[in-house]
Amino acid sequence: MTAREHTGSLTHESAELHVTGEAVYIDDIAPPSGLLAGRVHYSPHAHARVLKIDMDEARALPGVHAVICHRDIPGENQMGPVIRDEVCLAAGEVLCVGQAVVLIAAEDDDTAWRAERLLRIEYEPLESILDIESAIRKNVLLGPERTMRRGDPDAALRTAPHVVRGELHTGAQEHWYLESQVCLCIPGEGSAITAFSSTQHPSETQAIIAEVLGVRKNDVVVEVRRLGGGFGGKETQANHVAAWAALLCRASGRPVKIRLSRDDDMIITGKRHRYLVRYEAGFDDAGVLLAVKFELNGDGGMASDLSFAILERAMLHADNAYFVPHMSVAARVWKTNLPSNTAMRGFGAPQAMAAMETILDRIARECGTDAAEIRKRNFYGPERGDVTHYGQTVENNRLHVLYDRLMESSGYSARRKAVDAFNAQNEFVKRGLALTPVKFGISFTTTFLNKAGALVHVYRDGSILVNHGGIEMGQGLHTKIRQIAAGEFGVPPGAVRVNATDTSKVPNTSATAASSGTDLNGMAVRDAITTLKARIASSLAGYFNDGAFPGAPSGGATLPEDIEFGGGVIADRNRPGRTMPFAAAMDLMVLRQVSLSATGFYAVPNIGWDREKGWGRPFNYYAFGMGVTEAEIDVLTGSHSIVRTDVLYDAGDSLNPAIDIGQIEGGYVQGLGWGTTEEILWDGRGNLMTHSPDTYKIPAVRDIPAEFRVELLEGYPNPNAVHGSKAVAEPPFMLALSAWLAIKDAVSAVGGHAFEPDFQIPATNEIIALSAARLRRSTSEAHT
Amino acid sequence: MRNTITFLMDDSPVEVDFSREKSIRPTTTVLNYLRSLPSHRGVKEGCAEGDCGACTVVIAEPSETGGLRYRAVDSCLLFLPMIDGKQLITVENLRSPDGSLHPVQEALIGSHGSQCGFCTPGFVMSMFTLFKGSSDPSTSEIEDCLTGNLCRCTGYRPIVDAARAACARGPLDHFSVMEKAVLAELAASPRGSIEIRTPGQLYFRPDSLDEACNALRKFLDACVIAGGTDAALRVTKRHERLKTVIDLGAIKDLKRVGTDGGGLLVGAGVPLADLGPFLEGKYPALASALSLFASRQIRNLATLGGNVGTASSIGDASPVLIAYGASVILRSVRGSREVPLDGFFTGYRKTLREPDEIILALRIPPPDGAFIRSYKVSKRRDLDIATLSACFRLSTGDGGGVESLTLAYGGMAERTKRADLTERFLIGKQWSRERVEEAAGLLGRDFSPITDVRGSAEFRLLAAKNLLLKFWLDSNV
Repeated sequence: MTAREHTGSLTHESAELHVTGEAVYIDDIAPPSGLLAGRVHYSPHAHARVLKIDMDEARALPGVHAVICHRDIPGENQMGPVIRDEVCLAAGEVLCVGQAVVLIAAEDDDTAWRAERLLRIEYEPLESILDIESAIRKNVLLGPERTMRRGDPDAALRTAPHVVRGELHTGAQEHWYLESQVCLCIPGEGSAITAFSSTQHPSETQAIIAEVLGVRKNDVVVEVRRLGGGFGGKETQANHVAAWAALLCRASGRPVKIRLSRDDDMIITGKRHRYLVRYEAGFDDAGVLLAVKFELNGDGGMASDLSFAILERAMLHADNAYFVPHMSVAARVWKTNLPSNTAMRGFGAPQAMAAMETILDRIARECGTDAAEIRKRNFYGPERGDVTHYGQTVENNRLHVLYDRLMESSGYSARRKAVDAFNAQNEFVKRGLALTPVKFGISFTTTFLNKAGALVHVYRDGSILVNHGGIEMGQGLHTKIRQIAAGEFGVPPGAVRVNATDTSKVPNTSATAASSGTDLNGMAVRDAITTLKARIASSLAGYFNDGAFPGAPSGGATLPEDIEFGGGVIADRNRPGRTMPFAAAMDLMVLRQVSLSATGFYAVPNIGWDREKGWGRPFNYYAFGMGVTEAEIDVLTGSHSIVRTDVLYDAGDSLNPAIDIGQIEGGYVQGLGWGTTEEILWDGRGNLMTHSPDTYKIPAVRDIPAEFRVELLEGYPNPNAVHGSKAVAEPPFMLALSAWLAIKDAVSAVGGHAFEPDFQIPATNEIIALSAARLRRSTSEAHT
Repeated sequence: MRNTITFLMDDSPVEVDFSREKSIRPTTTVLNYLRSLPSHRGVKEGCAEGDCGACTVVIAEPSETGGLRYRAVDSCLLFLPMIDGKQLITVENLRSPDGSLHPVQEALIGSHGSQCGFCTPGFVMSMFTLFKGSSDPSTSEIEDCLTGNLCRCTGYRPIVDAARAACARGPLDHFSVMEKAVLAELAASPRGSIEIRTPGQLYFRPDSLDEACNALRKFLDACVIAGGTDAALRVTKRHERLKTVIDLGAIKDLKRVGTDGGGLLVGAGVPLADLGPFLEGKYPALASALSLFASRQIRNLATLGGNVGTASSIGDASPVLIAYGASVILRSVRGSREVPLDGFFTGYRKTLREPDEIILALRIPPPDGAFIRSYKVSKRRDLDIATLSACFRLSTGDGGGVESLTLAYGGMAERTKRADLTERFLIGKQWSRERVEEAAGLLGRDFSPITDVRGSAEFRLLAAKNLLLKFWLDSNV
């Protein structure tokens, strides 16, 4: 049996636990004796001086065990993940509504609530900045501007036959993981503490807990069985709840759990960054890009968090799939008095790609040529050019094969005609069609993070326990790891159990993020297994040779390299009869004093770039995908529906097609939400107005495409990742730009495609209806 | 009068004596109760406001045809006494006694319908009610059953597939085997009114109208609930301790639907989900509005009486009921009275109901040939409070002139309100696009909508005008 036989659509390793309700999330862990409920009291002001924190009355309430503020932090008051600019509890100043000020631990939630009402905190409100434009006006940056440049875009724009200029606003997005942020901390002996945290980055959660408690990292264990969704929202900001729970645990000496209510979670935690993108693009008569200048402005919120890494990924994806000979990107993160914005699926790329796709869409309208054709003319390729604006060559380019096949399978050309005919017939219902590509760089752009560790044990009964640094958050990572491990050992997947992720098993890991979970951890697990197999092969060869083995002795001595794992047995591939079932062999290994435990490690080779110059090879490889969406709008109400979506995605040799298709569909629908109904709004005082699902609308079952056809590109293995596979996770999110632009195409049809519609992300019913109404007016004015 | 409640769970009667349970109050939600037990943590809290469905459980009670009727509900919106005398089914109960999975569970696994798995138990419970109700549901029935469950991982497609596959194997399962025994257990449950007193709280669940009226006279400031979907938020979101609750959910007189001189008399306590068969064909605009009303889980609890009684400025059903010319029947110890719904709302969450009055029923006259259409403008199609809602009613004469017209709007003012000036302008005019577009200009004088989280004033006014044009278009189809 080869590794390939273990690919295939194995069901999620926890599927049965999911459907029976038996899967244990942190809030489901049986309450340890003496458990207290933790509560976070946060700032009601967007910006204020903290004059006084009086906790006496709250502390005196019966049932209250700890009430603490910044003065009570034994370690450092710091929880910024990369740049150390975010305090754990507000000291002299609060910088946003939702910033933690005081923590309370009490017998139950109700007591904690009542204690909170007894806090006496005095503030002196200060002036606040609540949007990017104000921050730009006041020039309040979170850090220095970054730039990238190739060629001379200014000169090229001066001579370009046609130029489009504009700006695009993209909205914030709430992760809306179904399981809100939660952490359970249990005190151990001395300064030891164990945290059960819903985090995508246990090593960092461990580090932040150690820092705020003032202990060493070897005092802190973070364990994560599974997340009820992450999407980037638990990459850094799970640390906050964990640090707060750890502080209360230390202060009270008792186990403490903080589980944020949905409203508190939405108010306290950061979101996908809002962006304001300004662009200027020059093109020729055929709609081919000559030069583009981008200015990216991100709303970082009150602290850095991952804003600069996100900005960097935005800069690296502003080209999306298109070769631009002269291109520059100037990028800034602005400081506002909102919770620090953070990672979310796509990590800056969606915002930048939306701008690039807007340019292509506008060029098509200006040229009067179908937008899919314009896009194709601009794809990276051997004729146009295949080096990006940061110097990396687009190798194994799948854009053209995806385009050709998807145009065919989606029936694009015929449907374009049908859509035009439909629009000619209907005044108040319009249809639109759009194709958009995605080229997404796989690797953390901070190069040293591209690594992973594993610890694999094999037991005497042949069962295998795999530990690795990745987090299972629904994406099927543990299932794929199970398939990889089973494939390497040549045993059925059922023989492999993937353990809860635990910092005491695999240390110093990277976040499960950047779509890299399987690539990195899969290789680390494979490395550990390779070590084990070498030990086993060596010992077993000796066993076959030493005469004690009852099998056929003829044919000379077995060499370790003759040993093969497959079909549940370990055998000498050249000498039939010298074979042993896997479990029996493991029993033998124990008797022969072979260590059946090994660590594994993997660091991605051949990547690296000069961040200052913005030049080099930041990515291990590119993931590609393409989507065609047809949408329908009601011109009068602004409502929309997605008529049909076709996606073709390059997952290399997919490790698990069902899981990959699930990631593609889920990512697309999340992108659809960002592009349409998910609108985050703050009031003039920095209060989040959309702080519950009552007002914040993620897609529901009837919002998905009526026809949803997702296929994987077959026959194109990826040379750069485990078993020929490719990352999925993030890239499909941006395929939903095809839905957003299909809606725009439908709006544009109201004005006969003669005018540029007012458009932004999200295209809510309000945006659609108001934009359509303006086009109706423009059209009637043009006719009179 | 009882001070305990009894319900059926895990095949056994469970009695809750609130005087003994320190951590449980009568306004403890079923969700929080279940999660406090060691063996029922499959039920999840996603939002505590009935907007995500992660806490979906199923309530079974005797149906009119003699079997059991299974309803999916949001357990976060359900106070414990509301399940008195009923069977509570959670995801833990779905495995067969022999340990095998239920067909809906198998189907979800088979279609790769779970990713992070946190929403999954809620989906399983919604799908279970579909499984018990239909072996060949249409896509729209499946979707309708799942509108109250949010999933952030899958994009729903595999879940819809699983629902279809599971139903094809139904509706017989181990619950079918147990049906008679459960019915017998429920029939043997203690009956009669419930009055629970705990420190600082009184929860009264009368089983007769007279008792309810007497209680209301005594406790004029009581929180009166029918389905409780609105009032529950005061507990789950604002952490209020409701002092006095009068729960009308056990009163049979409020649960009747009767015909009335060609029209309908709808008991104020009938769950919206039960109205379908009475509206079909006859009240299409109301049926259409209710199909977009919240979610299945909420329609299984929420009532017309409650929707009218809370007098929200949007009140999805109110514009429709006004267009149908409905009236409200109120009852108190002083007697009964009937007032037209048009005029019943006096301000933001204010009505003509006196503090001692109960909404008994709504009388909905037959449409008598008038053309009636309802509209809802919302960010998301399902389970979303409208930015604005509207229902219009038109009667034209032989020459195409407007004889009578009702233009009722929600979300355009502090209460559901008719567009008086616009209506008056159109009466007697030709029902033509030109006249309608001209009339739409008057809506800006009828209404001064506000800008809020659901939409700007500009959008509200534009949509209000556009809906009138849409109504004209629909009237010509």
